[in-house]
Amino acid sequence: MMDIQQYIESGILEEYALGVLSADERAEVERVAQQEPAVARELVAITNALDSYAAAHAVAPPAAMRERVLQAWENSLRETGPAVAPAAPVMATEALTPRMAIAPAEPVTATAVPTQGDEGGAVVRQMPAAASAGRTRWLVAASIALLLISGLGNYLLYNRLRQTESSLELAQAEQSRYAATQQAALNERDQQLAILRNQAFRSVELKGTPKAPEALARVYYNTTTKAVYVDVRNLPELPEGKQYQLWALDNGQPVDAGMLATATATGDSIQQMKNIASAQAFAMTVEDIGGKPAPTMSTLTVIGNI
Amino acid sequence: MLLVQRLRDRDEGAMTIFYDKYAAALYGVILRIVKKEETAEDVLQEAMVKIWHSFASYDASKGRLFTWVMNVSRNLAIDKIRSKQYRVGSRTQPLEDSSAAMRLAADTSFRPEHIGLQEMTRQLNPDQRQIVDLLYFGGFTQSEVAEELNLPLGTVKTRARAAIKVLSKLVR
Repeated sequence: MMDIQQYIESGILEEYALGVLSADERAEVERVAQQEPAVARELVAITNALDSYAAAHAVAPPAAMRERVLQAWENSLRETGPAVAPAAPVMATEALTPRMAIAPAEPVTATAVPTQGDEGGAVVRQMPAAASAGRTRWLVAASIALLLISGLGNYLLYNRLRQTESSLELAQAEQSRYAATQQAALNERDQQLAILRNQAFRSVELKGTPKAPEALARVYYNTTTKAVYVDVRNLPELPEGKQYQLWALDNGQPVDAGMLATATATGDSIQQMKNIASAQAFAMTVEDIGGKPAPTMSTLTVIGNI
Repeated sequence: MLLVQRLRDRDEGAMTIFYDKYAAALYGVILRIVKKEETAEDVLQEAMVKIWHSFASYDASKGRLFTWVMNVSRNLAIDKIRSKQYRVGSRTQPLEDSSAAMRLAADTSFRPEHIGLQEMTRQLNPDQRQIVDLLYFGGFTQSEVAEELNLPLGTVKTRARAAIKVLSKLVR
């Protein structure tokens, strides 16, 4: 048996998560992770860390891009087939994108430069009109001073303009990023709400057995369409290699209603399960990953009658 | 989970939802790698097509959808910058070129507009950040990074592990 700590410290898990391993090496890591809970835990931690590092770099794409990207993707579907498809959208955008690349730089130079030129010119033009040498000298000195002051003023204003523009840009980027994340969250909630609001769904409370008194989950069962959704409030953490399995009880007979995905078991999302023709109760047991044809009664975690 | 199921069922409407949910994250990372907005848009588009066509190869038991689509997009973006290096035609090592570009980019294109990112980069020391960025945004193996930075491989591994540990603490 290999030294697990040494294996973890070899850096291979990081490379797995970064996607730089060959197919054989990947398969090997997956095999070890399946056997060694410590390796699996480490791998999950690494993946989560990199995922959130990636997520922290999120930038909301320009609003107009949504249409272009989705359209190009749709065009690729209509074309001959998957093999040729990926090349097409690239060409399609090259025609579209250049105009947006030039735009942002212009306004700054356009406003700042002419202002300086105008004022400089106005001051210099007064010089030939001066009468005596003394007055001329005084006027030259005064105009130079004015020129310097106006130049400095321009410079300060220009700087402030640039600062304002860049903070405005930051604020806009932040705002549109926020809007995008909120919109995405909202869409998902909307979908879930549509299920919950649907009159045809009956809500079934699954309460914890004495084994897990804190456990709580809810099943939404549509007796017309036979659709079943599960929404977890709280379930005990699973041992390595195990998964929750949902059962429908029909006349006392357990019927497999599907396996709970990790995100479902942790309460992160609602999951649609297998359709169930008829049931009087639902229950969950802890089974090996992939499930069992019949429930292991000793691991019964939650149960509830319709 | 609903989204994964719809994608698996080849439900075309799911791609709009997919875009709304993931475009910002994918676009941000792609942009960080390719630097140019129009190239980033091309890559995002290629990524959408690829994700759709190879969705059957996504195995939910091996990881989250986010991880998978992020890797698909990241790899396309990395391929893009490497292929450009080739097109320029220089026979010098593409690795050196692109990592030099990475290092430059790390200084110039860093826009601390996200609190999350700011917080993360504050917690990482510059050495750790350089290594995470080369690995994650450059697609290098740890030995390639060691060679590139002229560091012992062990040091690279230790720093990478330390950096990832810092990041996972922030996540919790």
